[in-house]
Amino acid sequence: MRAARAAWRFLRSEPFAFVGAAIYALIVVTAIFADKLAPHDPREILRVGRRVARYLPISPEHWLGTTSSGRDVLSQLIWGTRSALQVGLTAAIVVVAIGTLMGLLAGYLGGWVDKLITRLADIVLSMPFLPFMLVLAALTTPGTTVVVACVALLLWPNTARVIRSQVLSLRERAWVEAARVTGCSNTRIMFVHILPQVLPLAALYGSVAIGWAILAEASASFLGFGDPDTISWGVMLQEAYANQALGRGAWNWFTPPGLAIVSMVLAGFMISRGSEKLLFPKLADK
Amino acid sequence: MSAVIEARGLGKTFRTGRRTVHAVQDVSLAVSAGEALGIVGESGCGKTTTARMLLRLEEPTAGQVIFEGEDITHRRAAALLPFRARAQLVFQNPFDALNPRFTIRRTLAEPLRNFGIPEAEHAARIDAVMGRVRLTPASAWLDRFPHELSGGQLQRVVLARALIPGPRLIVADEPVSMLDVSVRAGILNLLRAARDELGLAAIYISHDLALIRYVCERTVVMYLGRIVEEGPTAELISSPRHPYTRALVAAVPVPRVDQDRAALPIRGSLSDTPQGGTGCAFRDRCPHAMPRCEAEAPALREAGPARRVACHLEEGAPS
Amino acid sequence: MSLLSVENLQVHYRTGAGPVRAVDGATFSVAAGSILGLVGESGCGKSTLGRAIMGVLPDAGRIAGGSVVFEGRDLVALTEAQRREIRWRRLSFIPQTAMNALDPVQRLRAQMLEVLMERGGLARAAANDRAAELFRMVGLDPVRLADYPHQFSGGMRQRASIALALALNPALVIADEPVTALDVIVQRQVLDVMRDLQSRLGLAMILVTHDMAVVAYACDRVAVMYAGIVVESGPVREVLERPLHPYTMGLTHAFPDVHGETGELVPIEGSPPNLLHPPTGCRFAARCPFAQTRCHEQAPPAVTEGEHMVACWRADEASALRTAAASPATWAAVVPA
Ligand SMILES: Nc1ncnc2c1ncn2[C@@H]1O[C@H](COP(=O)(O)OP(=O)(O)OP(=O)(O)O)[C@@H](O)[C@H]1O
Ligand SMILES: Nc1ncnc2c1ncn2[C@@H]1O[C@H](COP(=O)(O)OP(=O)(O)O)[C@@H](O)[C@H]1O
Ligand code: SF4
Ligand code: SF4
Ligand SMILES: [Mg+2]
Ligand SMILES: [Mg+2]
Repeated sequence: MRAARAAWRFLRSEPFAFVGAAIYALIVVTAIFADKLAPHDPREILRVGRRVARYLPISPEHWLGTTSSGRDVLSQLIWGTRSALQVGLTAAIVVVAIGTLMGLLAGYLGGWVDKLITRLADIVLSMPFLPFMLVLAALTTPGTTVVVACVALLLWPNTARVIRSQVLSLRERAWVEAARVTGCSNTRIMFVHILPQVLPLAALYGSVAIGWAILAEASASFLGFGDPDTISWGVMLQEAYANQALGRGAWNWFTPPGLAIVSMVLAGFMISRGSEKLLFPKLADK
Repeated sequence: MSAVIEARGLGKTFRTGRRTVHAVQDVSLAVSAGEALGIVGESGCGKTTTARMLLRLEEPTAGQVIFEGEDITHRRAAALLPFRARAQLVFQNPFDALNPRFTIRRTLAEPLRNFGIPEAEHAARIDAVMGRVRLTPASAWLDRFPHELSGGQLQRVVLARALIPGPRLIVADEPVSMLDVSVRAGILNLLRAARDELGLAAIYISHDLALIRYVCERTVVMYLGRIVEEGPTAELISSPRHPYTRALVAAVPVPRVDQDRAALPIRGSLSDTPQGGTGCAFRDRCPHAMPRCEAEAPALREAGPARRVACHLEEGAPS
Repeated sequence: MSLLSVENLQVHYRTGAGPVRAVDGATFSVAAGSILGLVGESGCGKSTLGRAIMGVLPDAGRIAGGSVVFEGRDLVALTEAQRREIRWRRLSFIPQTAMNALDPVQRLRAQMLEVLMERGGLARAAANDRAAELFRMVGLDPVRLADYPHQFSGGMRQRASIALALALNPALVIADEPVTALDVIVQRQVLDVMRDLQSRLGLAMILVTHDMAVVAYACDRVAVMYAGIVVESGPVREVLERPLHPYTMGLTHAFPDVHGETGELVPIEGSPPNLLHPPTGCRFAARCPFAQTRCHEQAPPAVTEGEHMVACWRADEASALRTAAASPATWAAVVPA
């Protein structure tokens, strides 16, 4: 409850974060009510008379027109939020879990554990995202699992770094020492005393991972490594591209998923940008 | 009476980068049950480091720590649990000493859980300790969070947490320096009562002799990591023997208009003191320094009943 | 005539929940060349009062009433530009944490020169000489002008910020808790520097502290603040030896005296009221062992006898109250909500 109130106060004071959170909220609501909001079944091949309704322009009937195979673009866009969220949230949760654990261990235990994790993080951070994912996708069956695994494997160091530095300062607090004096084991200090303090920060970094995961999924789908049976913004883009939507000027087909992806990524960025003040108040003061 | 805690030749050397700091050197002391020992000295003289070694929050680099007859100097963290239950710490800054996300109840239950006290006893022990620190009725406080309490109330909770496992030794590092003058007395009274009623061995750390005198019968004075004088607190104040103790006594502020405002019998500050080298560490600030002080470090010697002093002036003085 | 005279000053902070009346009727004066001690618990408005006199309140704060007459001019009525003219030159400030007064990324010489040359209009050579002189004055080796603040100990930083405050020869320095964080030896040395400057330069000073012993050592007069109000003021000897306000009596018994009795100490239970909604009547009533019905209903007026001012309904019974206040039982009987 206190956390919720604090989050609200923070959002009100940071317009960037507010816009980002609003975008996320909009997408969540859309995903939940996708079946009510979408005017058509996204997979249904629509017809005009007996002909497949290909490349219909924007009209009151089809707000965003139809695709080359006669499917309603708006409905696909709306249903796409579900896969976007699914990919985004799973990736975010895995990123937060790995990053927090690594950061906690490195920051609290220090010594060789810290050195090892920091070195590992440096190596991972130096790896280029797309090639890594393509190799991984090529080696395994394409699909969202690869995307999630990729995002998680490559993005945890960002979370781990901030968590580590946070833990480094928390570790020096007297109440952590007090826990030790009153018989807490290191494991208990880390997971019962310190973890709850860093979770909000980790969640924030997770929210950035959501955007990244969606972008990654789109890139993978676009390059043909996605799962063609799912309805996602990336698959929409890929289909549009494969059917020369660009050449035909069917911008009503490829622009919406593109914008959706960009706004989602931007939302993550804005939240992290807005929260810099919260996390590094001194930086913001200068 | 045998000592609850004893330090023999205790030392701690920190190595940070290129610098080596001899934070504590050759400290020997002992405290028995029901006795309170004060440690005084100016900032940076090694009081906290000594306390942390006695509680094994820091591993000594020299000497031994003996607790209830057992040598715990190098005992591993996992094996320290029984000791932890018997030796507790009261922190300096109450605003930082409690987990901000734990209610008072949870803060007090934590040590009980860690030390394996059956859940069934928790409520009764928590109530009892809250009574001891005069936070009554306990029910009015237990479900609050630290940010809802004032400094004095927080420090009572800190004291309660230290008392709840039933320790034999309690160490308080500047327990009231962060508190308002109006509530300091309350905390000092509680500390005194807890020691008297529970027969604890107690160690209080401060740079203020007035405060130490209020709670401790015996006091050691530290300067630059070493004990320079030891004795009954009242005697130290009425007849300090080491030149540094004299300065310390003269510096204690007294709440009276008519008082001695002569310059302190000490020069410079701690940072002017030579580190290492031979000779007395106090020589650059000592008004009585003589050639011998440059050449030879004075040893801590018996100087009368229950009195020890480390100064060349003492030699030849009647003991 | 006094150098500074503060009359019924009111300072409010804007907050989400309404105005906090941090200073709510402070009246006192400082004579040229004298040191005034301002004592009280934390949150009583000491820092706010100091900042208000200096005109350096945080954004949320504003002077809501009263006057601050310094060298014949009412500072409250001045424009910001006129205030700037007075700051440093006539009136200067040492904030509560000395580190705040010093710029951590600049050497002390640069900080001194900036004040001396830009505000004081000195040439570089003269400014350098003056900086060295100021350092010697506060007992620091001028060689240390080449250091950064973090290379100084707490006491040295405190001295350096005093030197900085004295740079342009002000008539009055307001020092906010300058010795609270220092150990006794350094504290004594810093106080000696202040007393020395007072006698050599005729400097006047407001010394904010919560320690009666510091007041006894260094001050000529004292003003005791409680919950935004000056409840008692007068010459130090008068106030310490014959306190008229129960709060002052409490403060004098609350801390051990190194040469005095070792009997039970007497805490003042509870804490000051929330200044968002200060109580009607006497603000100390909830913690006062001598409170009567009228104390809770009506705020006591300030009465002055000679130089000794007090705001308590029972001031005329003070000598009897003093006897009672010396006993711990008197204070233990009060159970503040
Ligand atoms: N972890 C550490 N690494 C390096 N030096 C340290 C460390 N801890 C303490 N020291 C040094 O050891 C010396 C003694 O420090 P200690 O904290 O024991 O002093 P103290 O007497 O408690 O001082 P204060 O009154 O300021 O609390 C100081 O010189 C300090 O800088
Ligand atoms: N910037 C601020 N905004 C709101 N309230 C403040 C602010 N600064 C101080 N206060 C309040 O004003 C009162 C007096 O504070 P302060 O002047 O700092 O007291 P002191 O220096 O005596 O400890 C307190 O109740 C405090 O909480
Ligand atoms: S040994 Fe010498 S320098 Fe050291 S305290 Fe004694 S007289 Fe002073
Ligand atoms: S006015 Fe009443 S309540 Fe206030 S200090 Fe005096 S006696 Fe106490
Ligand atoms: Mg210390
Ligand atoms: Mg203040």
